[in-house]
Amino acid sequence: MVVGDCDVCHSLYPGMMKAAAPGKPLRYVLQNSMCVSCHSNADSNTIKMLGGARVPVVYSRVKPDRPLSGGNFYYVKVFGDRRGHNVDGIASPDAKNGFMPPGYDRSSDPSTIGFNDKKPLACAGSNGCHGDRNIENPFAAILGAHHSNDFPVDGSTTARSYRFLKRTAKVKGVTGLEDKDWGYSASSKKHNEYTPSINRFCADCHSGLYRRDKIGRASPWFRHPTGIVLPKRGEYLKYNPDVPPPPDKPDVRIYSLDAPVARPEVPAVSSDEVRPGTDIVMCLSCHVAHGSPNEFMLRWDYDSIVAGEEGSGGCLICHTGKGE
Amino acid sequence: MSYGQGRIAMGKGLRAKDGERGVKWKDFHTLCSVFCALCSVLLILSFPSNIDARVKGKCKNCHSMHAVKPYPVLTKGGCLGCHAQDPSGTRNIIIIGKTRIPQVIHHMDNGDLAGGNFYYVSDDFNPDYSKGHNVLGISLQEQPPMDVPPGFMGNVVIPGGTGPAYWPQQQQLTCAGTWGCHGNRTIENPYKSIYGAHHTDDSVIDGSTVGRSYRFLYGIKGKEHKNWEYQATTDDHNGYKGDTSYSTMDTISYLCGECHTRFHPNPNLGGETAVGDTVWLRHPTDIAFSSVHGGYAGSEFQAYTTYSLQAPVAYKNPTGRESIVDMDSIIMCPSCHRAHASPYQDMLRWDYTNSMLDRGDGCLTCHTRKGR
Repeated sequence: MVVGDCDVCHSLYPGMMKAAAPGKPLRYVLQNSMCVSCHSNADSNTIKMLGGARVPVVYSRVKPDRPLSGGNFYYVKVFGDRRGHNVDGIASPDAKNGFMPPGYDRSSDPSTIGFNDKKPLACAGSNGCHGDRNIENPFAAILGAHHSNDFPVDGSTTARSYRFLKRTAKVKGVTGLEDKDWGYSASSKKHNEYTPSINRFCADCHSGLYRRDKIGRASPWFRHPTGIVLPKRGEYLKYNPDVPPPPDKPDVRIYSLDAPVARPEVPAVSSDEVRPGTDIVMCLSCHVAHGSPNEFMLRWDYDSIVAGEEGSGGCLICHTGKGE
Repeated sequence: MSYGQGRIAMGKGLRAKDGERGVKWKDFHTLCSVFCALCSVLLILSFPSNIDARVKGKCKNCHSMHAVKPYPVLTKGGCLGCHAQDPSGTRNIIIIGKTRIPQVIHHMDNGDLAGGNFYYVSDDFNPDYSKGHNVLGISLQEQPPMDVPPGFMGNVVIPGGTGPAYWPQQQQLTCAGTWGCHGNRTIENPYKSIYGAHHTDDSVIDGSTVGRSYRFLYGIKGKEHKNWEYQATTDDHNGYKGDTSYSTMDTISYLCGECHTRFHPNPNLGGETAVGDTVWLRHPTDIAFSSVHGGYAGSEFQAYTTYSLQAPVAYKNPTGRESIVDMDSIIMCPSCHRAHASPYQDMLRWDYTNSMLDRGDGCLTCHTRKGR
């Protein structure tokens, strides 16, 4: 829950608050940019202070020093469409896909409104990611979440959904364990913890990349699967081969921030242990949510991943046998 | 200190005391020998034998994670997406970065690889179905009776298990899997049957896995020419495995016999009943020149002495470097045929219908007296 002086957020920007016309409810103006205004920064720091409040920065106007877990929209703004989500107020519409999310299928979207491909992607609401996607207005979709009790993160309300990713009022939101620094100082031990709910969330707009009838039901897959258990066999047993496990835990692998996995259940604390056969491949194993320096919002440069040359990193964190 | 500097320093030290020169020279030679040996070892290690042992190159060259039109194993177009990238083009081997991809269909003059070229049967290029295998995605299925592999018998023993009990009427030939040639043929799904093979260390071809089988033909042994026999020579070519004992399943001819069962004398397959013994009923395969009727000595086969790329032979332990053909050399299916397709009928390596007697090649490479 946000704490601190009201003014620092609510009257920070000119025109943000405007006197209501007589008889009309008080309304914020600049609603389409208000999220961005608070969560952006002119300098490279990705956690900024507004009064006493620590605010995670999702859009840096200069190259961010340490992008947070979701990445940074700086990259899509500066380097173009392939580097991030084209969010209204930050980046212009995607030249290839327009407003339509790749793989979108109305029948798979739980939103009663659905994604409007005549309007741009927003931070929140029916055309966005955060808040209640049964509400079109981004501002209204997330209204009150910042000031609500956000524990436990059980997906019951927007505030109690992981990073306010509620999906819809009637559909359970994303669950997970939120790193208090949004990944700013993440390590293999200290990081967000994800659950498969994040995959279902992504699939609300990108179902073609998730649904089994679109990607296949088992190996050999047609599209890279997500929401499947990291296999307890073969090359996957060596997940993150660059960081071997301690001798007393030979069956455990060490969590990689470059290819994180989801957990079947939300853990109480984050862990550096990864267990093939239990932990789960997710969309965020490869991608970041906002923007990255790499094409397709990947966590690494796909163009630099090579097979058969004893390389490491990227795809080879899981596909360890391909690098040998 | 560089390698050169090191050598100079050693020499100066050795010349320092003339009285010990003889001993020192001996030591010097010993040191040089050891040094050279070490250098040789290092050289060998720096160019390991598996230099092309597995697919190298960018993942993106072959795989697309979320393709608009998806293919199995996240490939860019399945088998043909990689191995038939540019059918109209003139490249028989396409090189993308460090990835070298042999093309099974192309339009390059004199560029057909060892397996031949599906160009001759491709529906895109005025096909003649008598010239090659009708593989799904390249050609339509042939009309009966050629919709079933000629000589097919069900339930034969194949590496990994048993072949299919029968060939369904609508079942077209595939690249791999039960209804194809490559991969583990006990697995029906072509992609599953060959799964992982491209990323396997195949520096040793022992047939133990698909990846370690000759050209991913499961169970088959051999030596793979690094350019798939493009610009092969009589002493640098594919090394085909043959075996005249009929007690193994690792020969290239056995692979053919898994479908064309009645053409192979192995008792697992057609056996003597189908191929013959004292009198051949069909042209034998996996037979050495030493086993010809009447004996090798004085036979016409003695005149075939230098390896022929047109009518190659197999060996019991092939190296791909054989240039000599002798009584132990083994006739195999690819002695006469191409695996994929050829410019000639019956996928032959030569024109059986025309002027062979005048040319003195083709069948006459082995049957040297028949042209006289």
